[in-house]
Amino acid sequence: MHYVLRPERMVRAIIAGPRNKLPAVIESLHKMQVLHIVDHHGEDETFHIGKPLPQAGALSEYLVKLRSVASILGVETAPKGAESVKVEDLSGKVVSLELSITEEDAARKKAEALLGDIDRRIEELRPFAALGLPLERYRGYDTIAVFVGRAQKESIGLDTSLPKAEVFEAPGVLAVFVPKDLSDQAQSVVSGFGFTQLDIPAGEGSPKALLDTTVADREKWKGRLEEIQGRLDKLREKYAAFVVAAEEALEVEVEKAEAPLRIAVSDHSFVVDGWIPAAKAEGVVSAIRALGVHAEAGETGTAHSEQQPPTLLKNPKPAKPFEMLVQLYSTPSYHELDPTLFLLVAFPIFFGFMIGDAGYGALFFAFGMIALFKLPKDSDFRKLLLIIAVGGFWALVFGLFVFGEMFGMAFHLPALAPPDELSWAQFGLNFPIEEPLLHKSLDIGDMFYVSILFGALHLGTSYVIGFINEIRHSKKHAVAKVGWFLCLFGLFSLLTAILSWTRTGGWVWNVALSWFPRQIEPLGLSGVLHLGIGIPFASLLLIMGALLGFLETPIAPLEIGGQLANLLSYLRLAGIGIGKATIASTFNILILHGLVLDHDIPIAIVGLILLVFAHMLVFLLGAVSAAIQGVRLNYVESFTKFYKGNGTLFQPFGMRRTQEA
Amino acid sequence: MADPSAAIAAALTMAGTGIATAWAEKVVGGATVGAMAENKGLFVNGLILMVIPETIILFGVLIAFLLLNHVA
Repeated sequence: MHYVLRPERMVRAIIAGPRNKLPAVIESLHKMQVLHIVDHHGEDETFHIGKPLPQAGALSEYLVKLRSVASILGVETAPKGAESVKVEDLSGKVVSLELSITEEDAARKKAEALLGDIDRRIEELRPFAALGLPLERYRGYDTIAVFVGRAQKESIGLDTSLPKAEVFEAPGVLAVFVPKDLSDQAQSVVSGFGFTQLDIPAGEGSPKALLDTTVADREKWKGRLEEIQGRLDKLREKYAAFVVAAEEALEVEVEKAEAPLRIAVSDHSFVVDGWIPAAKAEGVVSAIRALGVHAEAGETGTAHSEQQPPTLLKNPKPAKPFEMLVQLYSTPSYHELDPTLFLLVAFPIFFGFMIGDAGYGALFFAFGMIALFKLPKDSDFRKLLLIIAVGGFWALVFGLFVFGEMFGMAFHLPALAPPDELSWAQFGLNFPIEEPLLHKSLDIGDMFYVSILFGALHLGTSYVIGFINEIRHSKKHAVAKVGWFLCLFGLFSLLTAILSWTRTGGWVWNVALSWFPRQIEPLGLSGVLHLGIGIPFASLLLIMGALLGFLETPIAPLEIGGQLANLLSYLRLAGIGIGKATIASTFNILILHGLVLDHDIPIAIVGLILLVFAHMLVFLLGAVSAAIQGVRLNYVESFTKFYKGNGTLFQPFGMRRTQEA
Repeated sequence: MADPSAAIAAALTMAGTGIATAWAEKVVGGATVGAMAENKGLFVNGLILMVIPETIILFGVLIAFLLLNHVA
């Protein structure tokens, strides 16, 4: 059962030996990167959680130091040509590097703090320098109140309202000296000028001279700071590669040294428990046995065994990006079919049908190809673009052979087209296929029917997969899936009969389903439901197949409505396809007729630029809506029929996780 | 047989279901963004819940389409 569409087969591995062999075993396992360790939780009397290897403490300390160095130097990614480092000579280098760098860092912090102080002092002194009075003049009076501060307005009429005051002024600054008994009055007068009080700076003598020395100080310290910064920059240039390489090497060593925390250890022995891909089990077992330690690997129990093996998806390379879409929903469990290939077929066809345009399709495909060669291998964005590219390919196919359309413009005008509609043939492009199979806005009934057809195929396949998944667990649930499948087919046959007036629906009803019994049910339900057509007896019987759903859920009959809703939900394929094409063709008609055709060259150029922007808008909107709706049809309509997920991802000991969110 | 009230009915159906969808998505979307602020992993669940109300307007499109047969 374990071949097609299933995750990699796993076997349980047990490695047991004397404690003094543990470091060698860890080293060997780390190198092989195939064992998914099942963490020991220490609930056993004899076997406890192991203690980290002796070097773990020192290693973590170096790692912490190195990370602080990296953050001081601002090293983030490895420069090209990263050095290779040996863990043995790391310790001395890290300590001396840390020492010199923390010294420089402390000096830099000190200089920065000092510069901050100096800046504040300059700000303080500046208004007083403008007034010119020596600083001691503002202090130490018994009978005089001093108001000195910034004024927002010019102090006109101050000498008339405060005749006894002595006033000093500079642009924006005001100093008023009044007898103490007038201070309340003075306060209210100056506040009329938008006055805010300033603190009088410490020190004596001319504020101008003080300001000059402080500014000179600032220049001096700025120079020092630049010097330090320069030294740090040099250090970064010199050590960036080392820091990155050493950090990586240390992380690996720490992971190894701390591995015993995941392993069961008694006074004299240890046991490692984990999962290995079956294909690699033999090699691992013999490699470990060569160390003089007992190792064995083998199949465990049934599908219902307590512990579920981790999931390692195995898909052909082109399907790999689609694993991301599956993982986004949930990691498949070890015991169910991996839906990646299903998604690889369904999602791009939906996407292609919704876009349905040769021009946009080719663009999506081109972007995907650029991503394939230009973007880093494990970036999620690349995967996304590759997924869209497969959809773009289908959009190109649909655009060329089904809808006969490029950038929202038909290759050849259909006979019923509105009078101002444009076609590529008018511009001299003669596409060999004269008559498209479907015209999006003229054959709406057909668009609807094809969507429902896609839906029936998609949901039907989902039930088949659900049946295969369930048959190994619960025969009852598997039979329920058959019931749902029959119900779905009944609904589909009924909808086909109703839509048999369309070309595609007519073909399916009269050719593909020509064997389907057409006898109309005698109960008169068709009249009650106002379908305008009789319900075939066979359809009704099939729909009643939903009663088998009682084996799965007590509300089975209600689900008939749910199934109809699911099926009609695929109408969004047609809806978005028609909507997007209509927006594009409207832009074409408005801009080409209004600005380009039969217009002067300058206006035509503006029109063409506008047209490019309009198409970019449709392109982006189309990509977003088609992608979201395509994903939704898979997640909501289809996955709920068969997919449970909730698996654990296979993470072998020693494999570095490079994925970013 | 042309029936002008069918055209109005089709328009009302589209408007009504459109508003209903928008309203439902507003509620779900707002809650999703709030939930995502606490836990980024809820993005996919949010996305799925967010697009579920779109089925409402799809049914509107279907009804409007059936009504259009009475218009022309």
